[in-house]
Amino acid sequence: MFNHKAKIKGAIDKIEIVFDDRMIPHIFAQNDHDLYLAQGYVTAMHRLWQMDFQTRFAAGRISEVVGDKAIEVDRYQRRMGMVYGAEKSLKGMMADPKAKEMILAYTEGINAYIKTLSKANYPLEYKILDFKPENWTPVKCALLLKQMSAVLAMGSDEFYMTNILKKFGPEVTKNLFPDYPFREDPIIPVGTKWDFSPLPIPKTPESFTQAQTGEVKTTEKVEGIGSNNWALSGSKTASGYPILANDPHLDLTLPSIWYQIQLHAPGVNTYGVSLPGAPGVIIGFNQKIAWGVTNVAADVLDFYQIKFKDSSHNEYWYNNKWKATTKRLETIKIRGGKDEIDTVYYTHHGPVVYFQKPKYGRADNVPVGDALRWIAHDESNELMTFYYLNRGKNYNDYRKALTFYTAPAQNFVFASIDNDIAITPNGKFPLKWKDQGKFILDGTDPAYDWQGWIPNAQNPTVKNPPRGFVSSANQSSTDTTYPYYINWEFAPYERGKRINDRLSAMNKATLDSIRLMQTDNYSIVAQNLVPALLPLLNNEQLNATQKEALAYLKKWNKRYDAHEIAASVFEIWTKRLSYNIWADEFEVKGIPMRYPSRDRTVEMILKEPNATWYDNIKTSKKESLSDLVNEAFKYSCDSLERRFGPINKDWDWANVKQTNVPHLAKIPGFGSKVLQIGGNKGTINALNETNGPSWRMVIELGKTPKGHGVYPGGQSGNPGSKFYDNMIDTWANGKLYDLFYMQSPDDQSGTVISRLKISK
Amino acid sequence: MVFIVILIICFLLQMIAPWWIIIVISFATCGIIGKTGKIAFWQSFFAIFLLWIGYALFKSLPNDNVLAGRVAVMTGIKLWWALLLVTGILSGLVAGISGYCGYQFRMAMLAKKTDEKIA
Repeated sequence: MFNHKAKIKGAIDKIEIVFDDRMIPHIFAQNDHDLYLAQGYVTAMHRLWQMDFQTRFAAGRISEVVGDKAIEVDRYQRRMGMVYGAEKSLKGMMADPKAKEMILAYTEGINAYIKTLSKANYPLEYKILDFKPENWTPVKCALLLKQMSAVLAMGSDEFYMTNILKKFGPEVTKNLFPDYPFREDPIIPVGTKWDFSPLPIPKTPESFTQAQTGEVKTTEKVEGIGSNNWALSGSKTASGYPILANDPHLDLTLPSIWYQIQLHAPGVNTYGVSLPGAPGVIIGFNQKIAWGVTNVAADVLDFYQIKFKDSSHNEYWYNNKWKATTKRLETIKIRGGKDEIDTVYYTHHGPVVYFQKPKYGRADNVPVGDALRWIAHDESNELMTFYYLNRGKNYNDYRKALTFYTAPAQNFVFASIDNDIAITPNGKFPLKWKDQGKFILDGTDPAYDWQGWIPNAQNPTVKNPPRGFVSSANQSSTDTTYPYYINWEFAPYERGKRINDRLSAMNKATLDSIRLMQTDNYSIVAQNLVPALLPLLNNEQLNATQKEALAYLKKWNKRYDAHEIAASVFEIWTKRLSYNIWADEFEVKGIPMRYPSRDRTVEMILKEPNATWYDNIKTSKKESLSDLVNEAFKYSCDSLERRFGPINKDWDWANVKQTNVPHLAKIPGFGSKVLQIGGNKGTINALNETNGPSWRMVIELGKTPKGHGVYPGGQSGNPGSKFYDNMIDTWANGKLYDLFYMQSPDDQSGTVISRLKISK
Repeated sequence: MVFIVILIICFLLQMIAPWWIIIVISFATCGIIGKTGKIAFWQSFFAIFLLWIGYALFKSLPNDNVLAGRVAVMTGIKLWWALLLVTGILSGLVAGISGYCGYQFRMAMLAKKTDEKIA
C-alpha cells in the first residue's frame, strides 16, 4: 500500500483520502469546506483534461484550442446563451452561503492540484491537442451544469411543428401529433389524486402565429438520451427494506461521464457518482436514503417570433410599443487567427439565436430571427438539491431538497430506510396554457409569455403508491387529469411499460432480480408490431435469404440479445417502414419537419389499415400498408446481405449495432473496442451504438446500506492507466461491483490500495 | 567509444534536458572523438536507437504497453512494437545525421587549419 502526502494551503484541518482497489476515492474530512476542497483536488487529479475540455466546449471556446474549424460550434454555444445562463446561475449559487462555500472550496481544490503540475506531467490530451490547463473558476461549475441542461433539455420541435401546421393544417397536425399518446403507462400511476388546488391557468390567446422556414433537412426525432429508475418498497423485497435502481442513459465517452466518490464529514456520509466539475454526489445513497434521476421531457425551451423595427435590430414590437434590445458581445478567440466579436441581440424573452441559417447540424431546429426563452437562462441553484440529498435522512428531507431544483428537470426517485418510496418529476416548470410552445410563439403579444411558475409543491409526485413501487423511464409524467401543462410529448412508453410489467410481477426482490432487470433486452415495440406485420408479408415473393430471415423472425423471442439475427432484421425493417410511410409527405426540401411519433405510427398500423398516409404521393400507383411492409422487409434483408453475405453470425444484432465507447474528443485508439452486447433504445437495457446506461446502480437499503454499481469506463481519465477502462467488461457483461461504503478511514471490510493525507 | 559516450551522456542529460539534446551531444561527441564518417553515423545511430527503445520499453512494459498500444492506433501504425521501432529509427537517424555532421565539421575545420598553415 502506498501512502502519499500533500499540502494544500487552503485546508482548514487534516483530510484523508482512501483509494480502494478500483481507485475510487473515499474522502474523510473534518468539515464541509475541506470535504469539497478534497473533492476538487482528487477529481482534478484523475480528470483534469476532461473537466477543462467540457467546460471550454460549454463556454464556446473550442476554437481557442483547435482553430477556426470549430467556429460554428462556438457561435452556437454563445448564441444559445450558454455563458449568459451560466453567469446568471452562478449569481444564484453565490447568493447562498452554503453553495458559495461549496463552489469556492471545490475550485480551490482543483487549482491546488493544477499548481502541482509541470508541463511534463500535463494530462496526455493537452500534449496531443497542444494546449495547457488553465485555472478553474466558479463559473465553470455553472457552465458544466448548463451543459447538462443543454444535453437533456435543449430538445425543441416547435420549428418543425410550426412547419407541419403550416403545410398540413390544424386537423392533420392534431391527428398525427396528439397531445397524449395512444398507449401510455405514466410515471405517477393513473388515478393518483392531486391534493392541491391548482393556480388558474393562463388563457390561451386567440391568435396563432406561424414562422418562416429555412433550408435544412428533416431529421427523425432521435431517441436514446433517456434513463430508467425505480424503487421497490420493502413489501416487495426479500429483505423487507426498499431497493432503489437507476441507470441514466447518455452519450457514452471515455473518460467516463461520471466519477465515483464517497464523501465523509461531520453530518454527511454519502457515496455515489459526481460530475467532474461539480461538487457533491448527484446519484447515490447514504446511511438512510437513496436517490436517482431520469430526465423529464418538460417543455422549458420556447422560440418567439420577433418583429424588429428595422435591420439595426435595436428595437422590437411588444405589447403595442417598441422595446429596446440589449446587445451582448461574445469574443471568440481563434487559434492562429484574429478574435471574432459576435454580437448577440437579447429581447426580454432571451437571445435572438440566428439571423442567418448557419451550416451546423445542431442548429437545424433553431428558427431564424426568433428569440429563445430557455429555463437554463434563469438564476438557479441546483447544487443545494444535491447538498441536501447527500445529507438527507427521510422523506421530508427529500421533499425539501427538491424545492431548490430548476433545470434540467428530472424524475427524482427516492427510497428511505423508513420504508418510504417516492418519485417526483421535478424542476421549475413555467405556468403555461395547454400546448404553449408546441409551435413557435408570437413574441409581440404578452399573452404568449411565460406567466409564472407551477408551485414546486404542486409538481407531480407520489409517495408509497399501493402497487408497492415507483418508476420512470422518461415517459409522460402523469395521466390526463394533472391540471397543468408540462409538455405535449414525452419519450415513448415502451421502456416504462416493460419496467412496470416486471415490477408488478415481482415479489421478494433481491439484488439479482433487479440487476437482471437493468439488462433486460425484451422489446415491447416488437411485441406490439411483430404480430401485426408478419401477416402482411407476401411469402411467395420472397427470395431464399428473405425466407430464411422470416423464419428467424417467426421464432424470435422479441429480445434484442447480442446473438439475435431477428433483432437486426426487425430493427432495419421497422425503421425503413417508418421512412416508407412518412418520408414522401414529411421530407420536403426547404421545409424542415419531423415524423409523427413511433406511438402514433404504431397506432395507425394497428388501427387504421386504410390510412391515406400509406400511399406514396411521389408515385402514380396507390400503395397500401402491405406494399410498404413488404418493400421494407426486403430492403432490410437485402441491406444486411449486401453488408455481410448470406445469413451468418455477422447478422447478429451486436455486430450490426457495433456498441463502443468513444473518446470524448474522438481521438482514435483512445476509445473502447467494439463490444458484443445486446440492448436497444426501446428496451430497458437502452444500449445503442455509443449511447446507453452511463451508470448502473442498485442500492439495497438496510441496517447498513449495500450499494452496487458500474459504469463503462474507470476512475482515471488517463488513457495510459489501467483504471481508464477497467470496468467496461463488467459493465458489458451486465455485472455490478459491490461498492465499498466505508464507515471510517480504517474500515477493513474492503481493499484499499493507497492513501493520500492532505494537510495545511 | 562514440557509441558508449553518446549513450551514457544522453541517458543522463535526458532526465533534465529536452529531447533535442541528442542532436547536440551526437554532434559534439563525433566532432571531438569521431574517427571516420561511418563510425560517426552508425555509432550515433545505434546509441540513440537503443537508448530510446530501451528507455521506452522500461516505461512501457510495466504499463502492459497500454498507452503505447493506444498511441499506435492514434498514429495509424496500429501495433505498439512497430511504433517503438519507428521511434527508434527516427531518433537514430536524427542522432546519426547529427553525429556525421559533427565529424564533417571537425574535418572541415582541420582542413581549414592545414590550408592556413600551407598558405
